Formats: sequence, C-alpha cells, structure tokens
Amino acid sequence: MATEGMDVLVVAGDPWRSDYLRYAADLAPGEGQVFAFVEAGRAVRVVADSPAEAERFRAEQRDLQVTWSLSPIEEAEAAIRSLAGARIALAPAAAIPFRLAAGPLRSSVASATALLDRLMLRKSSLEIDALRRAAALADDGYAVFREAARPGRPEYALVAEVEAFFRSRGCPENFQILGSGGREVRGMHPPTERRLAPGDLVTTELTPCIQGYYAQICRTLVLGAASEAQLRAFAVYDEALAAGIAAVRPGATAGEIARAQNEVFRRRGLGEYVTSEYTRVRGHGLGLYVDGRPALLEDVGLVLEPDMTLVVHPNTYHPEVGYFVHGDSVRVTENGCEVLTRAPRRLFSVSPG
Amino acid sequence: MLDGRLARLQARMREAGLGVLLIYTSFARPSAVAWLTHFVPYWNEGLLVVPPAGAPTLLAAFSKRMHDWIRSVSHVGEVRSVAALGRAAVDMVENLPAASAVGVIELDALPWTVAEPLLACCGERLTDASELFASIRQPADDTEIRLAQKAADIAGRAIASIPHGAVRASEVLAAIERSVRHDGAEEVLQRIAPDLGGGTTLRRLEGDCHLGGRYAIELSIAYKAAWVRVARCLSPNAPPSWKQAQRWTSDWATGTTGVSGGPPPGALAFWTLEACVGTRPFSVVGSAIGPRGTVAPGTLACYAVQLQLADGPWLSGGPVVVGGEGPGRLLA
Repeated sequence: MATEGMDVLVVAGDPWRSDYLRYAADLAPGEGQVFAFVEAGRAVRVVADSPAEAERFRAEQRDLQVTWSLSPIEEAEAAIRSLAGARIALAPAAAIPFRLAAGPLRSSVASATALLDRLMLRKSSLEIDALRRAAALADDGYAVFREAARPGRPEYALVAEVEAFFRSRGCPENFQILGSGGREVRGMHPPTERRLAPGDLVTTELTPCIQGYYAQICRTLVLGAASEAQLRAFAVYDEALAAGIAAVRPGATAGEIARAQNEVFRRRGLGEYVTSEYTRVRGHGLGLYVDGRPALLEDVGLVLEPDMTLVVHPNTYHPEVGYFVHGDSVRVTENGCEVLTRAPRRLFSVSPG
Repeated sequence: MLDGRLARLQARMREAGLGVLLIYTSFARPSAVAWLTHFVPYWNEGLLVVPPAGAPTLLAAFSKRMHDWIRSVSHVGEVRSVAALGRAAVDMVENLPAASAVGVIELDALPWTVAEPLLACCGERLTDASELFASIRQPADDTEIRLAQKAADIAGRAIASIPHGAVRASEVLAAIERSVRHDGAEEVLQRIAPDLGGGTTLRRLEGDCHLGGRYAIELSIAYKAAWVRVARCLSPNAPPSWKQAQRWTSDWATGTTGVSGGPPPGALAFWTLEACVGTRPFSVVGSAIGPRGTVAPGTLACYAVQLQLADGPWLSGGPVVVGGEGPGRLLA
C-alpha cells in the first residue's frame, strides 16, 4: 500500500467473493456484505450488515473494530467521508458496490484490485501448508466419494457423504459439482435427484477449503467394468494431464500449460472438444477462491512464478463416452512443479453390486 | 406459480414506467432470481433481464454446454452465455427507447464489474427498484410456505440426528450435514456456539473443538431455493428453564405483529426478525435496535431470540409466517 500510495484500502466482500477480504483481514463472511478498512498502524475496521456475523468477527479477532448496520454501504460511505485527506482505494472490482465505486474513488478500483491480485498469486509457506492439507483432504474426500457411488443412489446422496466427511474433519467448506450418465452428459452440475445406474461414468471435482485455501481434485469413475471406449478415453485425459503438469515451471505461461494439454487431444483427432463449445478452461489458479487466476487457456500470457498454485485439468466432453474429468492440484517450484494431489490417476471402477 | 410471480412484477414495472428490470444473482445473492425462475448460479454469476411483458432473458457467465442443465432446473425464456454480464446487459438495454428507465434491484450493491458499463451506457436512467420488488416479494405464497415447511422439517430431523453423546463439534456438524443432504436440501450453512458457558457467539468453525455441557447450533437450510434458519440450544441435561423459554419465545414469535407474549422468563438480550425481501435469503427487517420497515402479515420470516436466563444464556430461532389480526404460525 505504501509503494502504491494508499493510506487506506477499503476491501469489500460477501460469501461469493470472500477471497480479497480473507487475504486483507482474514475475514470469511458467511452471509451479507462486509467492508474492511485496512490501514498501516491501525486496527482493521469492519462494517457488516448482520448482527450475528459482526459478533462472530469480534469473537474471531479481538483486535478488530466491528460495527453492524442495516445499511452497510451507507455506513462505509460515511466512514470513507470521515477520512478526508487520506489516500483511499477501493477493491476488488468484483465486489465493491456501485454506490461506492461510482463516486470520487472510482479510479482507484482497478489499481487496488490489481495490487491484491498480484499479492494473492504467489503463496507464502503458511499458505502452501494450508493448500497441502487441503489437497490431502481432497484425496481422502475422493475415497469417500468412491465408496458412496452405488447404482440406485441419487447424486445428492454422494454429496451428503462427502460433505459429512469434510465436516467431520473440521473443514467448513467444499465446492463440489458432479455428473453421472453416458454420452448425453455434457458437464458437471450441483447434485440432482438422478439415480446412478450401472455403466455410468460418474465425474466430480472436490474442492475442500482449509483456513480459506482451496485445493481441487478431479476424477472419473465407472460403475462396473470400464468399457473399451471408456478406457481409450481415459488414456487421452491421463496423457493430457501429464503433459499439462510437465509444462508447469517458472517462466512458462498459463497458455503454454493449456496448449500442452490441448495438443494431446488434437493429435488424437479430438481438437474440436477443447474449444469453448465443449469446455471452459484447462485448469485455473488455486488459493482463497475456488476458481482463481490465472485461467489456463491458450491465450493467457501470465507467466508462472514459484509458489503459484494451480489445478491442471483437461476436463471436457468426449464424443464416445460423455463428459470426463481428470485433474490434480500443483505448486510451481523453483525449477518445475510439485504435485499436491496424491490420489492415483486411474479410471476408477466401482462394483455395481 | 413462477409465471404468476413474474406477472405481478411486470405489472408493477409497467405502473412504474420501467423499460427493463435487471436482477443480479450469485451464490451470495441468489434469492430474487430464484424466486422468479428457480435458477441458482452456484459457482457463477448471472443477470436476469426482465422486460415489462414477455419472458425474461438470463445472462449467465456459463458456457453454452451448461444450457441444458440451466433449462432443466429453471424457468426462463432465453439463456445467453456471456463473458461479461454488464456489457451484455448494455447490449440489451441499448435496444430500448432512449428515455426508458432501467430498474435494478439493489442498485447500490451491484458489483462494480457489472455496474460500470451500465453506468457508462445509462447514467441517470439507472434507477433503484428495490422497493418495487420488495412490495411484491412478501407475503409469501402457498408454494413458498410449503417449501419452507419442508426445509424446517429437514432441520428438525437433522437436529434429531445429532448423536446424544457427542463430545466434539465436528460430530454435530457432520451429523447435521449428512441428514440435511440426504433429505435433498441443496444447501446448509452451519454455525455453532460450542460451549454456552464460554459465550453465545455462533461461529463458523474451522477445525474442531470440545463441546461444553450446553451448546447451540444454527442451521440455514435451502430446499428448492426456499431458505429457513433454525437455532436451538442442546444439552444432555437440558434444564427445565429451557422449555419455559421456548414456550415464551414461540408465543413472542407468533405475535410479532403486536400480540404480547407477556414478560420473558429472563432478560431479553437481543432479537432479530429476518425475511427475504430482495436478492439475499435473509435480511434483517426488525431487530432490538429498531425496525427496518413494516412486516406485512403473511411474510415468511425467521426469528432469532437470545435470553439471559437465571441459569445461563439461551437462544432460539426458527421460521414463522407472520400473523395479521390473529397470531402467526411457526414452521419449526
């Protein structure tokens, strides 16, 4: 903040975009809108719009100055006005509300957001430790998922078992989507009432959170013995994942990791299926947000540096077997990468009986 | 039912002279769009564009392959995959007559990434439509109350599933999570005060801790986009005063429009009444520090009460259909 010429950084967040708040003030809002006023040499001031959340923040961090208001944006606006003469910046663009950003501090939003984005890319050793533990928990969670996957069970029952497992291990949050079925399945979604059937491919990505840091695993299983087509498909995704991970090193761009994965599909005549018609990204950053920067897409030029953390996942539709996922969490090291995910890279086969 | 809600909204839009209404949705603010379309974006954002007549358009930052899922779980007209919600909304708004007012629910709170292009395009034409929406959002219709009752029942079974001899918070949280999800609820947010002897703060627990002899849990549960919030004190040796406190609180909660519950069996430390009136599942509409506005009879609300009893603190919360001339109705 000092080098950027900021005296006070006002950081906004809510349960959807809590990452910047978590980074700047270690606040994880469970509901409502929250503003943190961060400045050197002073306790962080917090404005919340829920009395229960305000009480929780006070209990979690005794040195915070917390107030709650039925009109938190007006309260934050008044607090900003009271700082006349200070150099104030607002962040992030994805969460700062219209009323504050449309005022005289409008020009500060882009630079303050960029500042936090830069700081959040490279992780400290404590952050890496949290990510390692989250990755280990994701491995264990996937074992629970495999155990829960049985014909006749609705998709939501699998999520019930995984979420209960994570709560039993003290993990308050997990982002999970899944898919089940055959060639008709084009992606993953929140769990539905669909019941699993023999022969289904069952895909999932699990993203548990430890101390705010998310790690992700993507795997696919088949209910019963895998067909020849399913095994052929798996070989493509496994090769693509290995190629993507092999490309992760300092100095490589996010685009190069995406290209390494996509080239495997192109060589197999599957290039159509790595376009935006069938897939979104080939992985993304991990940290305080489940879908962080950088997106792994061929046109993204962000250069990797040590201690950035990513999930590499060549997830996409396969014309013979349907949607298929396969991905590991990794950390960029000084000369390559460390794979944080330990679960075997297999097409898991679960007994249908 | 969804068509009826939309028709009421569009009638109010026409009365107010709005050329279009924009409603933002995200995991944190899903309720207005879900109430109109049953769509919840979960891991993404969306913007519902509601014309004064006809079907709304959903702008969503999902790829096209997700359209089948969106259509299978929601009731919207066109679905458009867009890279940037604000710019996509501008493209639609630019087709309106130049003087048309552009309504936005909770305009002040609209994220800047969405709002900035709209401000550049529409300027003074942007108008806050929060009051307009709130005027039709409550009282709750029968469908919503049925879903809330189902969610309240799910909460009741979840609390009953807590192991009697639980000694760690993680045992409680895991049992609740398993029960709620197996009952088909799509979301449960839990807070716990693990030892009422050490404080009544309901915490979002990261890690684990031992339970005290008396503890409290709060569950916020979504079932088919209807949210309820239930809080209960638990103890293997619950004192008789808790039953008396719950009786008073039930009387108080069902009489929140004026029927007195008589004096509380201890000091009333704090209370809130929350309801869904905009984009968030719960907004404080009344509290110990003052009401936000009037609460219409028939409103689906959730009360929360904290009493300081002679033998220690006690808290409770649950959904209630606010009464009118007669008492309200508790759902849990």
